[in-house]
Amino acid sequence: MKIKEVIAAINRMQADGVIGSYAIGGAVGATFYLEPVATLDVDIFVGFKPQPGQVLVSPSPIFDYLTARGGVVEGEYIVLAGWPVQFLPPNSPLVEEALAGAVTVDVEGTPARVFTAEHLAAIALETGRAKDKARLLQFVEAGALEVKRFQAILARHSLVDRWREFERTFLQKDT
Amino acid sequence: MSFDLERILESKRARRRSLANRPVAEKLAMLDALRERACTIRQAAAGREATVLRESPPEYRGTSRKD
Repeated sequence: MKIKEVIAAINRMQADGVIGSYAIGGAVGATFYLEPVATLDVDIFVGFKPQPGQVLVSPSPIFDYLTARGGVVEGEYIVLAGWPVQFLPPNSPLVEEALAGAVTVDVEGTPARVFTAEHLAAIALETGRAKDKARLLQFVEAGALEVKRFQAILARHSLVDRWREFERTFLQKDT
Repeated sequence: MSFDLERILESKRARRRSLANRPVAEKLAMLDALRERACTIRQAAAGREATVLRESPPEYRGTSRKD
């Protein structure tokens, strides 16, 4: 069970031209910047390559490629190296921007594309579930965000009011 | 060792900082170990969904008591 093997498999898939850009998001992405937090799956955001004659993007080429190399499909997931992996299209302009701005991190010789800390935090704010708010709080408490870059992302994606509400709720000190 | 809450909280913060500052490869290996542990616990747990991987908690359904 090794995430590093998952990353290597995705790199190979990219090199073979099955996917364009990719970036690791979710809890695994956050672990590049924070302390590790238990998670059950790996979220990979992918720039899907449109197939000729198809309007909707399809994950079929990914699943076909990976099952031919030992991956096992389980519902929406494909299990690689013991990890359920979910491939997700960018579902908002913020995630599209995050994918375009992802950075490459060296994991003991294996390059891994991952969202920046600021984009991961902004996506957590946009998604807004309880666990996303907890993750956002972790980013803030760890001092993992470059404030100016984070605020610029919030402004570009109309998230300033939501951030103020988050600050009021979770970050305001008692007076 | 003491029950000084401030010291306990500070030591927790220090532990988290120390974990966050470890090399990425080491942190990813910790995720591997955490997931294996979580899967073992889930499989051992009794219940109909013990083997189902679920990222989010099940929906909360409050019950109305009828006394």
